[in-house]
Amino acid sequence: MSSSPAEREELSRILVAAGHGDQRAFAELYRRTSSRLFGVCLRMLRDRGEAEDTLQEIYTTVWRRAGSFDPARASAITWLVTLGRNKAIDRLRQHREAPLPDPAIALDLVDEQPSPATDAELSQERQRLERCLDALEPQHKAAVRAAFFSGATYNELAAHCSVPLATMKSWIRRSLIRLRTCLES
Amino acid sequence: MNTPTDHDRDDLRYAEYVLGVLDADARAAVEREIHDNPQAAAAVALWQRHLLPLSEDIPAVAPADYVWARLQSGLGLAPDIPAPAPARRRLWDSLPLWRWLGIGASMLAAACLVMLFSTPLPAPITVGAQYMVSSIQQDNGITGWTAAMDIQHAQMVVVPATPAAIAGDRSPELWLIPPGGKPMPLGVIARDKPTTVKLRPDQLANLTAKALLAVSVEPAGGSPTGQPTGPVVAKGPISGA
Repeated sequence: MSSSPAEREELSRILVAAGHGDQRAFAELYRRTSSRLFGVCLRMLRDRGEAEDTLQEIYTTVWRRAGSFDPARASAITWLVTLGRNKAIDRLRQHREAPLPDPAIALDLVDEQPSPATDAELSQERQRLERCLDALEPQHKAAVRAAFFSGATYNELAAHCSVPLATMKSWIRRSLIRLRTCLES
Repeated sequence: MNTPTDHDRDDLRYAEYVLGVLDADARAAVEREIHDNPQAAAAVALWQRHLLPLSEDIPAVAPADYVWARLQSGLGLAPDIPAPAPARRRLWDSLPLWRWLGIGASMLAAACLVMLFSTPLPAPITVGAQYMVSSIQQDNGITGWTAAMDIQHAQMVVVPATPAAIAGDRSPELWLIPPGGKPMPLGVIARDKPTTVKLRPDQLANLTAKALLAVSVEPAGGSPTGQPTGPVVAKGPISGA
């Protein structure tokens, strides 16, 4: 997402080629994107073995379903990260019937300083989203970030923040409505 | 017919789906709507464009090489497709490595040194999950051997720590046990000096954080059947260095 338009277009072409069964294109796609997706899996699953299994599952699905990628509807990286997050969340839901104590979620909630990169390195979309997030109350912004990065359910988030479930739902729902207004304005 | 309120409520649910806060049942319901209803699919796609830029904040981490090896064999891809090599951190910058070495695993340090000096020096020396380690413990809790695996050079060095005595006409044999799989023989190992084991691609593909190394006592020269025939005297999980 933080790449140039030319790079995005190239990645899109590679994904389309992989969708036609081009094995070299698939290997190149893996080379360019696996670190990004593995970072996402590790962050959500917090276990190297689980993250590796999920990454394998993600690229197996990519190989089989790349033909359904439509460059007119989404960028290649959005398509891939979406697929990756969905697989990671599915795995979290399979394993976590009951909320586990997870200090990292609490950390996400207090870790207010996001930006690992300077503004110049972030995409325009990311910068715009940050401006809209900044307009939220700090606690609500933190809850939205924690939800996104952890893949935790409302129940889990409420338990970790020691707030009632209804409070957590209201923080996040109000934030989402305000974000939509801000981003679509 | 949908009222504006219904529309808003659905849209919020799609946002919650993309954010990742819904439980398994509610997620499955949204996924059915995406499949059946183009309007739902478009609304979800819009939320993905809105929220996914947050993922730029997550640092990229190069996966271990064996993940590609597993994919390649799992999908039946041509073996001549070159292994993609994402950028990796340098060995000396690896905090987990130093932490690992710092917890008194002197025999492992010895194994790493053996490996560094016995392989042609790649430039730069890299780590991440290119190296994996295992402390193979006996039932009495004492480490019998330590193993250090060099994925890039497809080899493992197994260094004896304090292996228990076994009968003179028997040999310790090393096995790789994938999760839920049969033991794969890695050969007889020495009790008095490091043993270097060359790893085939099918063995490399099974070197994961969920696999185990185990040592069984076999007739001199190793198991005649290709599976363990004697008692397992030591085992240890594999982890990234």
